[in-house]
Amino acid sequence: MRGAGGAAWAASPFQPRALRASVRCRAGSGLQRRGRLWNRVLSALRAPGAREFQDCGVGLNAAQFKQLLISAVKDLFGEVDAALPLDILTYEEKTLSAILRICSSGLVKLWSSLTLLGSYKGKKCAFRVIQVSPFLLALSGNSRELVLD
Amino acid sequence: MATLRRLREAPRHLLVCEKSNFGNHKSRHWHLVQTHYYNYRVSFLIPECGILSEELKNLVMQTGPYYFVKNLPLYELITPEFISTFIKKGSCYALTYNTNIDEDNTVALLPNGKLILSLDKDTYEETGLQGHPSQFSGRKIMKFIVSIDLMELSLNLDSKKYERISWSFKEKKPLKFDFLLAWHNTGSEESTMMSYFSKYQIQEHQPKVALSTVRDLQCPVLQSSELEGAPEVSCQALELFDWLGAVFSNVSLNNEPNNFISTYCCPQPSTVVAKAYLCTITGFILPEKICLLLEHLCHYFDELKLAPWVTLSVQGFADSPVSWGKNEHGFWKGGEHLYNFVIFNNQDYWLQMAVGANDHCPP
Repeated sequence: MRGAGGAAWAASPFQPRALRASVRCRAGSGLQRRGRLWNRVLSALRAPGAREFQDCGVGLNAAQFKQLLISAVKDLFGEVDAALPLDILTYEEKTLSAILRICSSGLVKLWSSLTLLGSYKGKKCAFRVIQVSPFLLALSGNSRELVLD
Repeated sequence: MATLRRLREAPRHLLVCEKSNFGNHKSRHWHLVQTHYYNYRVSFLIPECGILSEELKNLVMQTGPYYFVKNLPLYELITPEFISTFIKKGSCYALTYNTNIDEDNTVALLPNGKLILSLDKDTYEETGLQGHPSQFSGRKIMKFIVSIDLMELSLNLDSKKYERISWSFKEKKPLKFDFLLAWHNTGSEESTMMSYFSKYQIQEHQPKVALSTVRDLQCPVLQSSELEGAPEVSCQALELFDWLGAVFSNVSLNNEPNNFISTYCCPQPSTVVAKAYLCTITGFILPEKICLLLEHLCHYFDELKLAPWVTLSVQGFADSPVSWGKNEHGFWKGGEHLYNFVIFNNQDYWLQMAVGANDHCPP
């Protein structure tokens, strides 16, 4: 911490802060043909909006969403890493978007699990990570989403 | 083992917390606000407040305008007319719109007349201008930074340097970008950007304002003299920073430790306030406007108020080539550079400055 005129630093840049990585992501079910699903994912990346995945047909509540994430991590990294403390800070069922919180040491595992998760109950789906930050305040706004006509 | 170690690594980040008093002559708060040039989101939180004062509301509504110009050739920013009309007679800010600093070419005009170009390797070589590699390039240099001092150039428009830059922008590699522009006029004349850039598609925009009142909000208890908090007495600055993010992201603050979905809760000790006022302004916001907001919030406690403190948070553009002053800014897994004031009723303040991986330490 610093006082006026002081020189001490608050945090070493090489000391990861526990429980400080947050991931904001959206999940949705796509169409049956992976080719068209890929196009949909690309178009959503360029122009994220409320109606990215119109053919969802699959509803998930917060508990099911969390179970999906845990099983994704378990499939890739096993039981031990599936027990990483993961919080769903916010969840919107309509847009299937959430803010997740994971410890810094679990960030890569969670993110890679989301990337490689391809289906839920037999339906193809894809996760898109929109923002990642160690600061929750940084996730409350995204300058890349500034849209001007 | 190296693979296992990489699995546990996260991008580095830095949060600097400092405390001071607004009456302290060594306090750097104005300098830090004024040198954080490109601000996307400004928000403040006032506990125990249900209605904003007229003066504060007017300040909030007058944080604009800013301008959006499409396909503006870069040479328009180095013409003597532009320099004498805008750069010399006020503070002119420009930033390319919809360009990702980690992928695309990005240009920014600082209020001191410096034009910063962040270019990929091919574009840099094609412009033929002198620059230096980006400090966050890594082993393979893919990004170059060119810095042009327009104030110095304007002193001698016949110089070879100015001729070379003009030739580069007009003939060698004519670059065009969509720009966000804003101008803080320090003179009495009223040249406006709308008339100056009328031959391009210029639009005027006002920042978006979102106001809300939150009821029964759990707020951490703070002591201005204790940045690191005191057990059972007050919370840490780090905990407050996270809590603030939770409030503005609408995160639930009262989860039980055994809750399956989330275990996040308000840091303890905490108190419940009957109502709190939240305001968020998004757009291309000038440091001068933020200074006015900060000054008003400094004087919020001139009259007796129930609130023990208020906060003012400012988030920069993720794709700006600079964070504070001339400090280079980049985008690794995120492009955050933000700061937050906690203003106490005794004129003490806490200042928290946060940056990501591709950033220098805040000043």
